[in-house]
Amino acid sequence: MIAVKKKIQPILEGVFNTYSEVFFSDSKVFGVILILITFLDWQLGMAGLLSVIVANGTASRLGFDEYYIRKGYYGFNSLLAGLGLALYFEPGVVLVLIILIAALFSLFITISLKGFLGNYGLPYLSLPFIFTLWIIILASSDFVNLGLNERGIYDLNAIYSKGGVALMNFYQWIEDLSMPDSLRIYLRSLASIFFQQNIFSGILIAFGLLWFSRIAFSLSLIGFYAAYFFYGFIGADFETLNYTYIGFNYILASVAIGGYFLIPSKTTYLWIILIIPLLATLTISLAKIFAVWNLSIYALSFNVIVILFLYVLKLRGYTKRKPVEVVIQNNSPEKNFYAWKSEQERFGNRSYVAIKLPFYGTWTVSQGHNGEYTHKGDWRHAWDFVITNVKGLQYKNDGYVHEDYYCFDKAVTAPADGIVVQVINNVPDNPIGDVNVIDNWGNTVVIKHNDYLFSKLSHMKEGSIVVKEGQRVKFGTVIGRCGNSGRSPYPHLHFQLQSTPYIGSKTLEHPIASYIKEDEGRHELKLYDIPQKDDRLSNIKPEELLAKAFHFIPGEKLEWKDENNNVTDEWEVMTSVYNKSYIYCKKTGSIAWFENDGALFYFTHFDGNRKSLLYHFYRAAFMIQLSFKSSMEIKDKFPANKIFKPHELILQDFIAPFWLFRKADFKLNYSYVDNETFPSEIRIESKVVKTNLFKWKEDSSYKLFITSDGLHKMIIKTKTKQKTVICTKPL
Amino acid sequence: MKLPFERPLIKKINAGMPSKFGLKPTIKPIEKVDGIVVGDLLEKYGSPLFVISEQTIRETYREAKQAFETRYPKVQFAWSYKTNYMNAVCKIFHQEGSWAEVVSGMEYDKALHNGVKGSQIIFNGPSKSREDLVKAIENDSLIHIDHFDELFLILEIAQSSDKKPKVAIRVNMDTGIYPKWDRFGFNYENGEAWEALNRIMLSEKLELVGLHTHIGTYIMTAEAYRIAAAKLADLAYNVERKFKHNIRYIDLGGGFASKNTLKGAYHTGIDTTPTFEEYAEAISGALISSNLNPEKLPVLILETGRALIDDAGYILGTVIANKRLSDGRRSLIVDVGVNMLFTSFWYEHEIYPAKGETQFTEETTIYGPLCMNIDVLRAAIDFPVLKSGDNFVIKRVGAYNMTQWMQFIHNRPAIVLIDEKGESHLIREHETLETIMHHERLPEHLSNI
Repeated sequence: MIAVKKKIQPILEGVFNTYSEVFFSDSKVFGVILILITFLDWQLGMAGLLSVIVANGTASRLGFDEYYIRKGYYGFNSLLAGLGLALYFEPGVVLVLIILIAALFSLFITISLKGFLGNYGLPYLSLPFIFTLWIIILASSDFVNLGLNERGIYDLNAIYSKGGVALMNFYQWIEDLSMPDSLRIYLRSLASIFFQQNIFSGILIAFGLLWFSRIAFSLSLIGFYAAYFFYGFIGADFETLNYTYIGFNYILASVAIGGYFLIPSKTTYLWIILIIPLLATLTISLAKIFAVWNLSIYALSFNVIVILFLYVLKLRGYTKRKPVEVVIQNNSPEKNFYAWKSEQERFGNRSYVAIKLPFYGTWTVSQGHNGEYTHKGDWRHAWDFVITNVKGLQYKNDGYVHEDYYCFDKAVTAPADGIVVQVINNVPDNPIGDVNVIDNWGNTVVIKHNDYLFSKLSHMKEGSIVVKEGQRVKFGTVIGRCGNSGRSPYPHLHFQLQSTPYIGSKTLEHPIASYIKEDEGRHELKLYDIPQKDDRLSNIKPEELLAKAFHFIPGEKLEWKDENNNVTDEWEVMTSVYNKSYIYCKKTGSIAWFENDGALFYFTHFDGNRKSLLYHFYRAAFMIQLSFKSSMEIKDKFPANKIFKPHELILQDFIAPFWLFRKADFKLNYSYVDNETFPSEIRIESKVVKTNLFKWKEDSSYKLFITSDGLHKMIIKTKTKQKTVICTKPL
Repeated sequence: MKLPFERPLIKKINAGMPSKFGLKPTIKPIEKVDGIVVGDLLEKYGSPLFVISEQTIRETYREAKQAFETRYPKVQFAWSYKTNYMNAVCKIFHQEGSWAEVVSGMEYDKALHNGVKGSQIIFNGPSKSREDLVKAIENDSLIHIDHFDELFLILEIAQSSDKKPKVAIRVNMDTGIYPKWDRFGFNYENGEAWEALNRIMLSEKLELVGLHTHIGTYIMTAEAYRIAAAKLADLAYNVERKFKHNIRYIDLGGGFASKNTLKGAYHTGIDTTPTFEEYAEAISGALISSNLNPEKLPVLILETGRALIDDAGYILGTVIANKRLSDGRRSLIVDVGVNMLFTSFWYEHEIYPAKGETQFTEETTIYGPLCMNIDVLRAAIDFPVLKSGDNFVIKRVGAYNMTQWMQFIHNRPAIVLIDEKGESHLIREHETLETIMHHERLPEHLSNI
């Protein structure tokens, strides 16, 4: 039975998703609504379903990725083709055959376009459906045995047979509802995406769209009305949209550009207003061309404009300018938005290479970016580091000799893995107060981290550099000693990032991946940040007990027991093909994605059941710095949709791209250690705080107990209950 | 204004520094300690008087800690109780994060009394009784084994204890210096240390957590520590290889010199004593460049005592009399003697008048108040002429005096702590006759005379 269910489930999921994918969605509810609409005419419904099964089945037999099949990516063009053909042609065996041909055609074009456009990171949208339909329609004049459908769509018959008089009356009442013409056209346009012409279907789809995504729903209206006003403004006849399959171009383009392929934001909303006139012009002109062959352009103009615009954006290269392209597609504007927003708030400046601080212990920034002495112009993105004592002085005694300076002769280490590309090691150290403007960078090491990122460490002690050009260094490798060579009146370490390998290259603005800022005994965790002048900083020194506890090895299994020693949950640590690790909960199928770079452990994403223990663990250990710091409070921000329930976010969703009034914060403290130097037990307390407008309230709090065996215990305290679970690792 | 009277004196002209102006032997007085006038302190608490500067302790500690932490990933200090176990002093170190390093049951109890967690007490020393060991094992303290008989005793206790004792061995070795200390711990060169480690590991009853050495005291060269650290790292590496067991810490003991000048030294201590930076460089350098896995370097423990506290201690006293010796040399009798300033047996202590800057000095012998020939603070010092009742200050007396002083002829003086705000606090009262007689018992037949 379970085996059967396992086989059936992905197929069913694939069918639902194929329907909802037409609206870029993977909502099951929306999928069911759409299936029902197609079955308003059972022939249409059957044709659609047949196409989906043929397309998905063939893709599966050919061995294409099950994931894409389940997501409906391969089948939705065949579905549309099937629906279109059933509307045009007389039902019968010939039509079934034609539908089979169309489904295959459509699938092949889908796969080919995916291969071709995929190279450019572009979507194929509904191009395969359009091409297929044209091919069949153009050829159909020779298909003598295939009759044109002359019956039209007899909705009422279908409605009557399913729901009797009551439903029929309800349907009729809806169709006769008084509403503005524009709204009527909007609803018909929505319905026509599924080859329907009635308001009833339009309302159902609109409802489904609203259920799926508030952003997509509002975008559909914005796109449509932008077109409506543009038609009015230039004097084109909008009424034509009432009976052609064209109005939806504006709706789909608006959803695609405004919120699906791009992260919804003020900018994307503005772009829609700008692009709709382009789209309208294109639609009208394309229609003229294709009228020559008696072909409808269907969604052609939407396809062209979306692909065109996305390609233009791609050619920008790397930029932080909006609009921002969606990198990981979550199949929902809301999910994409909240995930991106959280990523921005958590690691806004995230860089490809994690550059850390190039020394041991705590140092102080004596000159930061755009400094007052030498960090100007092309060399403005650099730091000077010194060591200061309790009183903030860089030296002891009178400071007349190098040895008086705390930083002098201290180890300088590699800020990240790389290859040494330049070494200068023979510039004498200046007497205190003097500078050498000839060899102004002094003794210097340049390390290559990747093709476009180099770090440069300067003013080191003469003869102290222990690495050679071409040598591979790891983060933390000692490369030399802090000195006073070059343009350096007193001993300090100059550190900069640059994109070329030369000594004297201009600097690059680049963040430090993670460090701890110390301020009057308080410690603050900084991620991807730029240290400022006078900041006292150190690298994270991971505590072995914590590092071990959060080092989840792929294949590792964790069992959780309740107070009565019953196993309640079983997890397994896994790794995806993209080298990303996650914890998988066997009971609920939930997945929590995490990262661990040795100094930080954090979750990036959660998918699954919110009642599961894994969800609580995701909330409890959202961001952990792996050294014990009793004076540190870690603050982080959850994606709102991972903490608030969907219904709590309905209003927020509508205006999310403009204003967030619901926020979910994470706070963590290191509450207990039995022995700071040789810990054998550490306790971490964390909590989730929800903010709603200006009120905040604590949602739940967690205590994690870590012992030398790793994660030992978790106490979960929510508003209503408290639960303790024990972690064991079966062999 | 009338100039103060200075007694005439005849002085041989010395060659001195070959400068055009000659040597100016000006002695600057120490008028205040941490902002409080010396005379005021003596008036309030009596003479002589030990004074401890909290600010100096904290600054010195932080400087030492910084010297190591900017070179080595994980460093832990343990306050050497025997150097100065005044509770107030210990507590300052504990507040700064220091553990306790004790060498007797008495010191152990004192550390517990001061609120140090058992697991943060290092129990060193050649003499630990069975009771001491049982207590230390119960409290999860770190026991540094000195000899095989102690190891056997611990193994015996471990048989019946449900706790697994946490132990380290003390290793003695040749670090290229004289004198070579070989009376504490197991010898490195003859393989005794390796044998002890094997016995501990093979017994499986003890948890080997660390390696310890204490190469000597007042070590004037940092290089000796480099050798010691390298040898301990070597032992740790061998244990790791043979038993797949990570040593959690390497303890380099104490022995860092303070800036006092040793008797017979040619240069002053200020010029010759290595700085914390130099010691730190030698030790961390040796550990980092050893065979040990850089990802799992052991914690470095330091039991520095003298170098952390010596500068913070002062003793203030009063001149009792001036006296001419038979050979014409001048001598000064003061109320500070070797009974309370034990370190004057090996240091040329720096002594300063409490007021009156002068360049007129005379070679003087300074005697303490005891009726004993050995009571000499300085056999020969160029010292200004002080009158009876004048005050003076001796610098750098924080280490080993408040623990090694003896109750002999005179009562021991009071100790005052000056806090970071410049307020003085009495931390040990001046002893009285009652103090001395409190523990005396008189047999009945002697009650009448």
